[in-house]
Amino acid sequence: MTNKGQKVKIFVLKDRCKGCGICVAVCQTEVLKLSDEKNKDGQRHPVVIDEEQCLNCGLCEMFCPDFAIWTTKEKEEVLG
Amino acid sequence: MAVKQKSSSLENLFHPTDAFLISDIFPTVWCPGCGIGTAVNSFFEACKEKDIDREDLYILSGAGCTGKISEFLSLSSESITDGHIIEKAVHINENDPDKKIVLFLNNADFLISGGEELKKARKKKLNVLIVYINNFIYALSRDKAVPMTPYMRKSTLGEFEIPYNIPYMAHSIGASFVARWTPIRAGWMKQSFVESFSVKGLSVIEIISPCLIYDANTGRILDPVERMAFYNDFSEIRFWVPIKDLDIRRQKKIIVGKFLDQDRIHDK
Repeated sequence: MTNKGQKVKIFVLKDRCKGCGICVAVCQTEVLKLSDEKNKDGQRHPVVIDEEQCLNCGLCEMFCPDFAIWTTKEKEEVLG
Repeated sequence: MAVKQKSSSLENLFHPTDAFLISDIFPTVWCPGCGIGTAVNSFFEACKEKDIDREDLYILSGAGCTGKISEFLSLSSESITDGHIIEKAVHINENDPDKKIVLFLNNADFLISGGEELKKARKKKLNVLIVYINNFIYALSRDKAVPMTPYMRKSTLGEFEIPYNIPYMAHSIGASFVARWTPIRAGWMKQSFVESFSVKGLSVIEIISPCLIYDANTGRILDPVERMAFYNDFSEIRFWVPIKDLDIRRQKKIIVGKFLDQDRIHDK
């Protein structure tokens, strides 16, 4: 599976996160993992390992119960 | 240097759903991995897909964990005591017929003290969407048996109860649209919300939601991801199943899907 040259950006609001780990479990291409450091509530939030693998499927955004993660797609500029 | 980083990150830190939410209150009050958050999330995904403005919505919720939904919405929303919610919905509908009224109800609001007023919804031919969040628990108590306590399960006092067939009950109060989902099917759930916006009359969507403290004293599945996997393994999608067969206690696996979609507002 490839993301066909799309540039995808993943945003995490780490202070909203409660560390349930659903986004990590749901991700098909293993882009995310739970961090070792903790946020202000003492929870382990997701961090991005490999952003180039992201397919922008939006599953993590749809499943997140705390509105803490989302993805955006940036189209590459076409030359000429 | 630190100030620069902060300002550059704040430009982008804006969730697509933040237009509907009061973002200062976060994090929410629910347990990590609770199904209520996913239900609210996919409801607003559906609103964005249908281009519904936040001023056209009116959200009512009851008591308890489910009632906390209206606490962090930046639109017309209220948390009302059990047994007066449909009364309020009738009142709003008479004054402002163009508003889309959505009720997020829990066990107490839908079955126990709110059960009596559901007759009103049929009588008045209300045009509302009821999202019934069924987490098999009542006010976090283990001492009481409640209408949705699972079959052959007893409370600490030894009481038991025979659970209701919710889709059949929704059919009998005159619902035009009936569906049942678990939060692990968030995409399907969003699709049902989208379809229910164009339904005339009452639509009822039952969401079987994992409650993380339900089995806390026996120490069973406590990890949120494991619990989601449990609801994935023990549910199957089947559409247009006859509504009388949807009783949860007669099934080896919970049947989820869409079961009814017809205009019943002119039924006699």
